[in-house]
This record gives sequence, C-alpha cells and structure tokens, in this order.
Amino acid sequence: MRNTARRGAGLRRRRLMAVSLTGLAVLAAGCRGGGEDPADGGDGGGDVATDVGVTSEPCPDAVNADNGCIYLGTLSDLTVGPFAAAGPLIIEGQEAFWNRVNEDGGIGGYDVDVTEYVRDNQYNPQVTNQVYQEIKPDVLALAQTLGSPMTAAIVDDLDAEDIIAAPAAWSSLYLFQDVIVESGASYCAEAMNGVDYAVENDGIQSVMAIHYAGDYGADAAAGAKVAAEANGIEFTNVETTAGADNQAAAIAAIREQAPDLVLISTGPTETATIVGQAVAGGFQGRVMGSSPTWNPAILQSPAAPAFQAAFQHLGPWGPWDAETDGHAAALEALGDVQPNEFYLAGWFWSYPLKAALEAAAENGDLTRAGLREAAEGLEEIDFEGVLPEGTGNYAGGANEAASRATYISAIDPAASTGLAPVAEAYTGPTVEAYEFTGPCYEVEDLG
Amino acid sequence: MEEVLSTLVRGLGFGSLYAMLAVSFVIIYKSSRVISFAQPAMMLAGATLVSYLAGPVGFYLAVPLAALGIAALGLGIERATIRPMIGRPVFVIAIITLGLDIAIRVVVNVFIGRDVRQVGDPWGLSTVEVLGLTVQQRYIAMIVVLVVVVAALFSFFRYSRWGLAMRAASLDQETALVQGVSVGTAMAMSWAMAGGLAAVAGAFVGTGGGVDQSTWVIALKALPAIIIGGLDSIEGAVVGGLAVGVVESFVAAYQADVAPWLGQNFSLVSPYVLLLLVLLVRPYGLFGTREVERV
Repeated sequence: MRNTARRGAGLRRRRLMAVSLTGLAVLAAGCRGGGEDPADGGDGGGDVATDVGVTSEPCPDAVNADNGCIYLGTLSDLTVGPFAAAGPLIIEGQEAFWNRVNEDGGIGGYDVDVTEYVRDNQYNPQVTNQVYQEIKPDVLALAQTLGSPMTAAIVDDLDAEDIIAAPAAWSSLYLFQDVIVESGASYCAEAMNGVDYAVENDGIQSVMAIHYAGDYGADAAAGAKVAAEANGIEFTNVETTAGADNQAAAIAAIREQAPDLVLISTGPTETATIVGQAVAGGFQGRVMGSSPTWNPAILQSPAAPAFQAAFQHLGPWGPWDAETDGHAAALEALGDVQPNEFYLAGWFWSYPLKAALEAAAENGDLTRAGLREAAEGLEEIDFEGVLPEGTGNYAGGANEAASRATYISAIDPAASTGLAPVAEAYTGPTVEAYEFTGPCYEVEDLG
Repeated sequence: MEEVLSTLVRGLGFGSLYAMLAVSFVIIYKSSRVISFAQPAMMLAGATLVSYLAGPVGFYLAVPLAALGIAALGLGIERATIRPMIGRPVFVIAIITLGLDIAIRVVVNVFIGRDVRQVGDPWGLSTVEVLGLTVQQRYIAMIVVLVVVVAALFSFFRYSRWGLAMRAASLDQETALVQGVSVGTAMAMSWAMAGGLAAVAGAFVGTGGGVDQSTWVIALKALPAIIIGGLDSIEGAVVGGLAVGVVESFVAAYQADVAPWLGQNFSLVSPYVLLLLVLLVRPYGLFGTREVERV
C-alpha cells in the first residue's frame, strides 16, 4: 500500500515536471509569436475572429489578466433531479480542468470561463430550454449539458446556432449529433465488451440485460444483444424502472432463468437491490454493470459481499486509481477531495471541447461557426493517456468517432472508489467489427 | 408453494410500509380535508434523520427519535403554512404542500449528499427460516412494526382524551368547538402524527438498500392505497396499503409467465388497476364514507 503511494507520488512529481516543461515551451512559443500576432498573449482579440460569448475583456477573477475571455455555459442537474448528487461534482471536475487550461496560459490569448453561466436544468426539458435561452446570448459553447431528454430539448437549436456542447453521458446517440462532442465508449460499446470479456474469461452461455428504457439502458441492452448474437449465446432482456421497490420482477426473472451473466444498466440503488437480492436468493452467475451503476456507498450496504463476489464494472475510462497522465493531472488539480468518479468524468468530458477550441484558435476563427467547423474537423483528441491513442476522430464520421475501449474493474474496498482495474482498454471482437450506423437502441430490436 | 408464500411475505412487508404511509395521508386528510403532498419529503427526512442518528444511538433508538423530530417538523409546518390558510379552498392548501415537498426535499438532499446513506438497521439482507420458509428478516420487522403502530393508533383514537377530540374535530369542526374541543390543537396533532408515521415508514424503506435522493418516490405508492381503502378511513388505509403491496409483489413475480402480453413492468401499474376495479364496485373506496347527496 505504502509502496504504491510512494510510486504514485514519484510518478506525479515526474508528471508535474513534464507539465511544467510543456508550460515553459508554450510560453516560449507565445513570446516568439507575440510580435506578429496581437492575439497571442496580448490584448485578447486581435486577429482572431469572434462573435458570441468571447470578449476582449478578461474573465471575472481571471488567471491571466491580459487575456480575453471565452464563456462556456453549463446546464446541469443541481437541485431536484435524479442526478442532483452528481451534477455539482461534474461541474467541479470541469472547473478544475479549465482552470488548468488557464494556468497554462489559456487558449489563443483567451482564458476560459465555466463559472459565470452555470444553470440548473432541474433534469426537466422545459426548464432546460428556458435556462438555455437565458444564457445563449452570452456563451460560445456548452461545457456541459446533462441528461439526454434535456439535451434533446435543445439540440435542434444548438445545431441551428452552431453551438457545440459536451454531453454528460455516454449514449451512442451522440455519435450522430454533430454539435455534441462526446468522449469515451458508449453504453452500447461498453456492453458488447462486457459480454465478449465474460465469454472469453468465464465461458458464459447466456446473458440477461436488465435495463432502463431509453438511450442509456436500452443502449446497453442493444449492445449486449449484438454481442450475444456474435458469440452465439442466449440473450434475454428485462426492462425495469427506477426505484429500489420496483425491482421484484427483475429479481424474479434472474431466479427463474438463472443466466450465466446479468448485465445491469440502471442507477446504483437499483443495481444494489438487484445484485443483493439475487445473490441472497442463491444466484451463482456473474454480474456486470454499465458505468452509472456503481456508487462507492454500495460498499457500506448489506449488498457489499454480493458485489465483491460477483460484480464487475464497465467504464469508458479507468477508475480513480488508474495510472494515466490525465488521471494524475486531474487528481492533482482536484486536490484533497473525497474520491468520486464524477469529478473525473467532468474532467475527461472536457478534452474534446479543449481540442476544438485550440483548433479554432489556430484557424483564427473563434466564432460559433468556426468552433463547430474546428470540432467537426478533429482527427484525434489528446486525452493524455486516459483513452487509447487515435481516439476522437470526429472528421471520419460516427463510426470512426466511436470509442470502443472499455475499462473493466472488480470491486475492492481498498480502492479509492471501490473499483480496482482488471482489464484496461479492453476492446472485444464484437465491438471491433461493429459498424455504428445509428443509435444502437434504435438500430437493434430488443423485442 | 414455497415461492408463493415468500412472494406473499415480501408483498406484506412492503405493503406494511405503504400502509403506514397511507395512514399518515389519511390522518391529515381527516383533520384538514386535504391530501398532503409533503408526505414523501417527510418520509425522506425521517429516513435521513435515522441514518444520522443510528450511528451514535443505534437503530432502535434512532427510529423513535427521528419520529419525534419529524413530528415536530410536521407541527411546525402546520403552524407556519397550513394554519393561516384555514378557510381557504383546500385546493390551495394541497398546492402549498406540493411546494413544501420540493422545498423540504432540497434541504434534505443536502444532508443525503451524493451517496446512498445506510440506516444502520440490524437486518440487512439476512434471512430467517419460519416454518420451513426462508424469508428476509426485514419483511418480518416491517409487518411487526405495522401491527404495533396500528394497534397504538387505534387505542389512541378509541381510548385517549385527545384521540376522541381529534375524531370529534374531524367529524364536525363547529360542533366540536362548541363542545370545548380545541380544533386547532387537534389539527396540529394530526400533522405531527402523520410526520412521525412517515418517518417510521422511511426508516424501514431504508432497510436493505439504504436511502438516496430519489427514495421519496416510494411514498407515492400510498396514493392508490388511500383511494382503494377510502380517503377518510384508517382501516381502509391499512387494508389498501397491504393490498397494493401484495398485488404488486405477485404481479412482479408471476406476470411475465402468466400474462407476458401485458408487457414488462406491469407490476408498477397493477395498484392502479386494482384501484379502478375497487372504484367500479365501491366509488368511495372499501371503507370510505359515502357522501350524502341531495338530488
């Protein structure tokens, strides 16, 4: 334990040095170009074309007082919605991310502000539209839009106004919405990998998907179905709804059909109920959960032993304890917080937007249209090792843009968030061969 | 057979919780003629309070303490927001309770935080053999608590001075006033009792899985229960709650085999189907008071 900590600290020091060196190099480049390009490190503006949400005045409480300001809006669930617990953490992760960008000198002579236009969407499409209209005249793009129904409520307007947005979810739907800059493998790809992995390692013969309806749960179930067919194993599908008290039918289905693998795509409370009760009722098979199914508090619940025995978590990137440059940078910037995967998600979801802003600044066009064009032209995004190289080819269309790597973790109470990696960047044969032609849950018929 | 019985016990277990919640709705309805939509928030607040108290004082002491705390909250709500509205249309009061529900939940959510909170109950998911049947201990605990609570309530309303006063006030406020009953106090007590009951139910809702920000939704299961039982009948609420729990449990366990054409998750709808059936036969619910209408 102590050894790992020391190794981690050493690693962090080295990374810190690398980061500072990069910073110096950027600074040097900035100085050299300063004479020719007034936008660089200068008066914020100059040669870079801008329209909405970009000012030559510095941001409020600017890190670089000489820089102009790019305003990004955030529509998140902050008070009454089902993700009110997650929203603020995602925002904090995202603030830490952009703060680091600013400390490294900003982008093209601008700092990035993500704190001025944070609005509560209350996980309600109507409210989302309202607060979106409020902040629309003041922001260049959206640093976060949380919830698929909420995003759906404004996506046409985003499209018409050329406002790009980073989603706070992993639906395969986002591959097909041009203004949405997604990161990480979709629930659909994740489920394919889960089934492939269980076939390879446990020789499973049947899989049951227990899932919510819609572009989260059904997306995962569709992926599981595709993988089951590819592997020639049996697939069954049980749709369920939110609420710990509403899982009796799912538990009965497990007891009756006794599948080798149960793949769950619900919230953490529902997952805890299903896994706890199924194992208590004698279920012997394996259980996998989509990324949103895990919450470290489950370790304090009576279901904990069942999770440790039978559960594996599928994630779009490595958990808190994973060792990549991106993780190290995020952890360092976040400082002393209680470990939670949502902080990291806020950080990792921000990479595509940063890449797009940098590309747009380089093109000298930080208008909304310019930013959208830059985003659509991205051929690779630097995720600092969080995702495999070559990830984020938006220019190649949906199928090329789709991330396919899944990070599989077992449950270990000693790990910071209870997740201990067992397979990193696992990419099974099914997802490798799969062609994304539409959102999985629409393309595949779950019956 | 064994499976049928364990389905029944599970249904009765959850049904007991629905029944307790339903009784809390009915107590308020009887005194104020209004359905308080703040009950889900009261339940959530109670469960959360238990999760904080269970650590220092243990689950068994935490539950009555939380019940007292939430009863005080109920009292406060009645004094601050409901009392000034007496004489106004009950519809307005109902809408006020909706607002209260959201306000209380937002505050409670801060205390719940992002994780699932455990209520520290001694049962977890452990099972016990009863007459050869394996049942979860917490279901038995739920049933026992319902029996105790209902017995206490009935003897309170039957034998105690204040119970009688509350019954009188609910029957006819003006006559009760004339007889020297403090209708205001009776009303305040009903809101406090409803708060305490919701808190107890909340503590047991949290057993097995814990409490999170969305747990409040469970309290809405009491709505079909009170309509089935008859809005103004405590017996009705108990029977309605148990019926909802049992019907839901059986439909969840067997509908996929017996009637797959009904689609998935029919168990969620089943309480409302039961409600429709009951209302077709008895429009005022099983035990509800028939309203006298002049034609």
